[in-house]
Parts: sequence; structure tokens; C-alpha cells
Amino acid sequence: MASQTPAVVMDNGTGFSKLGFAGNDSPSFVFPTAIATKGPGGGGGTGSGRPAVAQKPSYLTGGAGPAGHLSAKRGTEDLDYFIGDEAIAQASGPGYGIDYPIRHGQVENWDHMERFWQSSIFKYLRVEPEDHYFLLTEPPLNPPESRENTAEIMFESFNCAGLYIAVQAVLALAASWTSSKVTDRSLTGTVIDSGDGVTHVIPVAEGYVIGSSIKSIPIAGRDITYFVQSLLRDRGEPDSSLKTAEQIKEQFCYVCPDVVKEFTRFDREPERFQKYVVEKLGGKQATVDVGYEQFLAPEIFFNPEIYSSDFLTPLPTVVDQVIQSSPIDVRRGLYKNIVLSGGSTLYKDFGRRLQRDIRHLVENRIHASEVRSGGVKSGGLEVQVITHKRQRHGPWYGGSLLGQTPEFRSYCHTKAEYDEIGPSIVRRFALLGGPGT
Amino acid sequence: MSLLLEYHNLLLKTLLTERLNSSTPTGIDQIISDFDNVTYHVSTPEKKTQILISISIKCFQDLLQHGAQGVLEREYGPYITETEAGYDFSLLIDLEALPEDPAEREDLVRRVSLLRRNTLAAPFEKAINTHHQLAEAAKSASPESAPQQNESEVMVIRYRDEEAMYIQASHDRVTVIFSTVFREETDRIFGKVFLSEFVDARRRAIQNAPQVLYRNDPPLEIRGLVDEQQQQGQGEIGYVTFVLFPRHLTAQRREENISHIQTFRDYFHYHIKAAKAYMHSRMRRRVADFLKVLNRAKPEVEEGEKKERKTATGRSFRVQA
Ligand SMILES: Nc1ncnc2c1ncn2[C@@H]1O[C@H](COP(=O)(O)OP(=O)(O)OP(=O)(O)O)[C@@H](O)[C@H]1O
Ligand SMILES: [Mg+2]
Repeated sequence: MASQTPAVVMDNGTGFSKLGFAGNDSPSFVFPTAIATKGPGGGGGTGSGRPAVAQKPSYLTGGAGPAGHLSAKRGTEDLDYFIGDEAIAQASGPGYGIDYPIRHGQVENWDHMERFWQSSIFKYLRVEPEDHYFLLTEPPLNPPESRENTAEIMFESFNCAGLYIAVQAVLALAASWTSSKVTDRSLTGTVIDSGDGVTHVIPVAEGYVIGSSIKSIPIAGRDITYFVQSLLRDRGEPDSSLKTAEQIKEQFCYVCPDVVKEFTRFDREPERFQKYVVEKLGGKQATVDVGYEQFLAPEIFFNPEIYSSDFLTPLPTVVDQVIQSSPIDVRRGLYKNIVLSGGSTLYKDFGRRLQRDIRHLVENRIHASEVRSGGVKSGGLEVQVITHKRQRHGPWYGGSLLGQTPEFRSYCHTKAEYDEIGPSIVRRFALLGGPGT
Repeated sequence: MSLLLEYHNLLLKTLLTERLNSSTPTGIDQIISDFDNVTYHVSTPEKKTQILISISIKCFQDLLQHGAQGVLEREYGPYITETEAGYDFSLLIDLEALPEDPAEREDLVRRVSLLRRNTLAAPFEKAINTHHQLAEAAKSASPESAPQQNESEVMVIRYRDEEAMYIQASHDRVTVIFSTVFREETDRIFGKVFLSEFVDARRRAIQNAPQVLYRNDPPLEIRGLVDEQQQQGQGEIGYVTFVLFPRHLTAQRREENISHIQTFRDYFHYHIKAAKAYMHSRMRRRVADFLKVLNRAKPEVEEGEKKERKTATGRSFRVQA
């Protein structure tokens, strides 16, 4: 029914922004969180010091075009930019420089972010923000100032009707409710969110992030792409661009149970080697061989030493440490509901391997303590990693689910409340999707 | 450049282009929004090969009174289907009965992605037709014959909760008036600056541009028509009048001008918001510079003393405990 405008759900990630309307099962737009502005390297407006006056549309100049009038030239920098895929395309030519306003999940450049949102809302989603409620996401441990900046832009620049800012990990838990393995709609669990820039392991108890126990790992999608690229280069493949490396990663990579065995399998079964055809400019093609990187690239989550020399803890160990450092009464729930989220958790058998490795760690510890206590059997501990259909855009999908509920609007802060109290109002939000809703 | 807003719905266009050119049908169930309280529902309720596209548009009843049915039948004839519950108008595209010609398929996508535009076009088309009739009548009437009616009634299109479009045809022009609400003082100021630039641009020897006027009270044409109910909301109302002269209403130019005028409100508010965003970014830079100076001068400012905070617009708030 269309009696109420749908809430707008925006999940702006380091690499990609996921935008769409609550109630849908997938985001309407997924494009790079990138902006192309005039001048090399972007770097914000020109600082010309003139008031911003938008340019006249062509119909007011009767098709004569803006040429010839000095005033027609002024003040257009506020709209002279591109976002997303268009930004990438523009930046490859002269005149525009590209910037990524989000780093490690957090907004770094608010000017660019504000324009990125402006274009997302008006040009892509085509909504008048005054008519819609918005659900935005934030990374774990987002500083409150950052929330306030977001609120300031959403309410003061855009006059949006209402705003809710949710932690990505909590939304990712809600997204996993679609899995048949998840029986109770609980907001307790451990989220492994691995996107482009960072991988976070986030324990959540009843909708609240246990901030002190979060760990992040400096290995995510981009690193895996670089790793594939370095393997292609070492072999002297005819094309080893980042784009090709990324395509190979997304199309061919999977997680194996045992690297040594996988190597011998490849040597025994040559049909495991594959080919990837790159379409080049001018109709030319290049054929790239795809070999061990199929299983070796995602292996850096489990054996980081093959890629990095300063980060050496395997992901399963990090997950175990995170849960062990959380309050004892929630640990059981955290082991039982380990939820995957983000583009870099999509490798085939990623969840299965993770579950096996974490189980090993837990069983070894239980066994050691049984030995120490002289053979008293413990009750055991269930370890379950949830792989589900909506994992790719987990935070967006969770936002879509919660944003369509009838109570959603009452959990938002409204423009009127903001005007009365100010930006600090967004420091707290009542828990959406929590017990009792 | 992102100066103008498109007339079609990008998402609808992308989705349909993808579906019409793919050989593997998939199930769809998507809600899509558009400006001015328009919602589309794209779904495949019966079969994956039959795409149902429904539109809900707030002012549909007003539009029906002014010829929307005719325009929609002309544009979408064979694709019109029984209206989906909760919506105002529905189309059905059968992927198994698509036109053979790729150009025709593309044209179908283009037309469907203009659904909002075409529905809203009805009263404008009607006004332009009326104008031509009145102009003919005025031409044939002898100067000494009794003064006849050379103005149509004003059509009222309540396309938003508190805002309406008023359209009137006469023998020498078509007048379109938008009422628009400014939620904020700053919006009103930016709006005024924007509009005076607008009016200015026209005055500077550009004879082809429609005349634009702005005022705070209802213009003469629509006094008595302004809906009291619609005025109840909060925020200040402004009225923007466009006057389209016969040269804007020729067969070649009318389609484009209808599209332009329709998007005016969204375009206007888009620009106000862009201007605010731009101003904020300049303020942020100033604040950052100012803080640098301040920090150099006074290295030991105590955190606890910062009882008041300022936003980019300079509003200040007391910090909450
Ligand atoms: N099928 C796939 N297999 C492996 N990796 C994939 C797949 N699809 C996408 N990715 C990778 O996932 C990453 C993008 O994921 P996502 O959109 O979750 O990140 P993000 O939200 O932009 O970043 P972050 O969460 O770090 O801020 C990219 O590195 C992309 O290459
Ligand atoms: Mg993310």
C-alpha cells in the first residue's frame, strides 16, 4: 500500500553505498562511495567566497545557453560534481578529481559526504527529503560528533522528516532473521562484517554493541584484490589490472578446508585451473589463467602471514578472543549466533571453515579445562556460523526490514524534535527491533 | 553536470531495461518512490514474465478531472491493465509479447519510466488545447462583437499535502502558478535569491523564456481558490507564477515545456538544498580556520567549559547532559 511514503534506507560503506526503500528485498542502487569534483584531487569547493546561487535552467535562458553572461558562470560549483559510477567515469578524463568521503567506515570529508547524499537523494532516489523518514547506518564505535554532523546535514540542509541512525552490526543481525537456522529473532550475536576496507568482529547483546570487546582486522576486500593482483603479476599474466583481479576474486575464489591438500588436488586435477577472458578496448581479448589464487586469496583470513607481516592473528582466533572478552553471561549466545555480513564474506564455504576452526578452538579450551579440573565433563558449547541469502547487503537489508515496520517512525527523531533540542538529540535512539517490538 | 533533474524515473528505467533485455525472467517485488508523493510498485504477481507496474499519485482524482485518462490511454493503450488495489493506475508488460524491434522496446521502457510525467501532463495539455481554441475564437470574433469569454476556469492540482498547482488557459497565454511551502526561514531566503536570479535571467534580453513572478500572497488569478485546508500547515507559503506565451505553446515546444514546468517545484527545492549544502561547506571551512587560530591563541581551553555548541548555520544549542 502506498498510503505512507516508504522510508529511505542508506548504508554508506567505505567502498560501496547501498541505497533504497524500506520493504524492498534489495537496495535500489549500489555504487561506489565516490565523488568527482572539479580540479585534480577534488579537495572541496573552490573557496571562491561567493554566495551560492544555483544556475538558471536552460529553459529560462530560452535555449540560448548560459554563455555570455558573467552571472551565469557564477555559483555553479555547488552542483558541478558526479557521484558513484559516474564519478569514476568522469575522473578517468580531464577536469575532475575523485575522492572517497568515507575511510575505514567513517565519514572523513563532510563536504563531500553532504554532496554525495544530496545527489543520492535527488538524482538517484528521486525523493523530496521533507516527505520521507531516513534510516542511515554507522560503523561500530562511531564518535557521537559524527552522528551529530550527520543529523545536522539531514535536518538542516535537507529538512528530512525523520531520522534513525543504526549500527551496521545490529542491522546485520536483523538481516539474518531470514535464515531458517535462526529460530528466535534475537539481537544477540557476533557479527563478522567484512567489506572493502576493514573487517570488524562485533559482539552484540540484546541490540547493544559491547564496545570494549570489538576487534577490527586490517584485512578486507581490497586486500584480497591486491593479493590476487600480485599473484597475477608474478605469473606475468597478460592483464593484471585491479578490475581484473577484483572480477577474478568475486567469480572464482572460495575457501578450502586445507591448503596443502588443495594444492595437491590442483596438481592431480588440472581441470581445476580456469581461464578468465578480459574484454579490452577495441574488441580485443586477453585470456588470464586462474590458478591457486582461487583458494589462496581468501585464505589470508585464516593464515594472514601469507599476505601481511604485521597482522598475524587468524580470523577464527580473533572471533574467539572477542567472545572470550565479552561478559560471561552472554558468551553462549555470542557463540551460537555468529552472523556474516558484507561483500567479503561471500566466498563459498567461508562460513563452514570459520565454524570448524572456531569449534576447534572452543573444544580445545574445554578439553584443557576438563583435564585441569580432573576429568569433570562440561556441558559443551554450541558454535554456529550463520550464512544467509541477504548477507551481501546485510546492514542495508536489516535496515529495510526494520524501516518498514509500523513502529519505525516512532523510533525516529523528527525535524521538530531536532529544531527544539539540537544535534545532540541523535546521541541516543531507542532500540529498534529490540525486545517488545 | 547535475544541474537539472531528469523527467523520467531512473530506477524504473534501469529495472525495466534490465528485465526487457534479459533472457532469464526473475521475480520482482519492489517499491519505488518519486517526487511529490508518487509511489510505484513493480511486481510479478502472476508469472515471472508478466511485470505489473502500478503508480500511486496523490492528486490522481484532480488529474482525472482534467483528462488524465485520455492521455494515459494514448500513451499506454494496450499495456493498461486492471488497477492494482491501493494504487491509481496499472500497466502490465508481458515479456513474452514484447515488440520485436529493439528500438520499440526501448521506446516502451522510456514511456513507462515517464509514467509520472505523463500522468501529470494531462492538465497542461488540456490548458494548451484550450488556449488554442480560445485564440482561434478571439481571432474570428469581430472587434465590435460582445466581449466573450477568453479565459478558462482555473484547474487546481493538489499534488502535495500543502502545495498545489493552478493552471489557467486564455487566448493569449497559459498561466501556471505553484504554491510552495518553505519549512525554514533559511529556505525562504535562499528561495528568494534563487527566484530573483530566475526573474533576472529572463529580463536579460532572453526573449524566449517564460515570464516568472514571485509573491507571498495568492496572485489575483487564484484568489478564492486557495484551499484553506492546505494552508493550515506550518511554514511560509510562496507563489511562483509562470506565464507561457504562444511561442512556448507551439506543437514543437509544448512537450518539452510541459516537462520543464512540471519539475519546477522539485528543481527549485533541490537547488535550495544544494545552496545550503554549499554554504555549510564554506562555513565548515571557516569554523575550522577559526578554531585553528583559537587553539593557537589559547592552548588550554577546557573541555568542560564548552556549554554551548554551534551548528553550521550558527544556531547554538546547550549541550545535553
Ligand atoms: N561475490 C563476492 N565474493 C567476494 N568478494 C566480493 C563479492 N562481491 C563483492 N565482494 C567484495 O566486497 C567488497 C564490498 O563489500 P561491502 O559493500 O560490504 O563493503 P563496504 O560496505 O563498502 O565497506 P565497509 O563495510 O568496509 O565500509 C568489495 O571488496 C568487493 O570486491
Ligand atoms: Mg559495510
